Amino acid sequence: MKHTTRWIALAVAFVVMAVGVVLATQVGGDPRADATHSQLVGDPAPSFSVRPLDGGSLSRRDLQGKAVIVNFWNSWCIPCQDELPALHRFADRHRDDPDLAFVGIVRDDTKDAVRAYVAAEGIDWTIAMDPGARAALAYGTRGQPETFAITPGGYVAGAQIGPTTVKDLETMLAAARGRAR
Amino acid sequence: MRRTAWVLLAVVVAGAIAWAAWPDGGGRTERERARDLAAELRCPDCEGLSVADSSSSSAQAIRADLRRRIHAGQSDEAIRQGYVDRFGESILLNPEGEGLGVLVWGLPVLVLVVGAGGLVLALRRWRRQPAMHATSADEELVRRVRETELATRTERSGSGRGIPDRSGATHTGETERG
Repeated sequence: MKHTTRWIALAVAFVVMAVGVVLATQVGGDPRADATHSQLVGDPAPSFSVRPLDGGSLSRRDLQGKAVIVNFWNSWCIPCQDELPALHRFADRHRDDPDLAFVGIVRDDTKDAVRAYVAAEGIDWTIAMDPGARAALAYGTRGQPETFAITPGGYVAGAQIGPTTVKDLETMLAAARGRAR
Repeated sequence: MRRTAWVLLAVVVAGAIAWAAWPDGGGRTERERARDLAAELRCPDCEGLSVADSSSSSAQAIRADLRRRIHAGQSDEAIRQGYVDRFGESILLNPEGEGLGVLVWGLPVLVLVVGAGGLVLALRRWRRQPAMHATSADEELVRRVRETELATRTERSGSGRGIPDRSGATHTGETERG
């Protein structure tokens, strides 16, 4: 009798403890906490094939041997518009850098809207459409803007979820070139 | 008889659990697999919607990707893992059945088992407790108490009118003098 009661009490205590662990780890945490960083950093960069506005196609293989900064964006996206001055400054700084490829991939927008926006804002780096959002999916994007740095050897060296600053971009470029900043 | 009933009940419960938990991947079409996987994946740029329920471009791209992967012969598990590798665990609407995710699935079962076990123990204990039957000694005791009680009551209420004693003689309540 005495032992049975003890066992039941022990079982109840165990269940209560397990409920506590579940509440602490599953409910208390943000289920989308891992949405704030990319899972791809350190992995081989996914391949992509996108359509630049000025024609032709562009794949990651075409950029092999260069450090690559890929920025996923849309013309209607307010945070993308907010980060545009930083992108302009970064592009200006590295305009004559032959070992850097700076590519903007349109995540979910119409070609006409993008063309009009690019012309209005004087964007002069490579902008490409992503038919079927395959590149956006390959890079695990959850929204826009999202920016990835790829090493000349084809590995993801850094990622920024949300708007970047010039400092962020320089840090990612340094990481892609194997130089800490 | 009672044991057979318990065994039958156990078989029915085990069968129901097995039926509910058994993976039914065998006979599904590619379309059904794509639909089920889309329902398991969280739309990356929506709030609380599955890929199956969203019309966003990401969800559409994922649905197309699921169809491509299934057609290419990838298993459901490999496809899920591919999405977890790219987006993290949060892409899954249902928690994984390993690590701490086991607790989410296992705890209700554990509570059910502990509760059922406690109930069985309680029932067995109640059955072991002997039913109370009056013995002849108890009956004799009760009979004597009743007689004494009756005699006392009669003595009080009938003083002066005579109380029959055990031998049937009548007393007046006064001391008889010879």
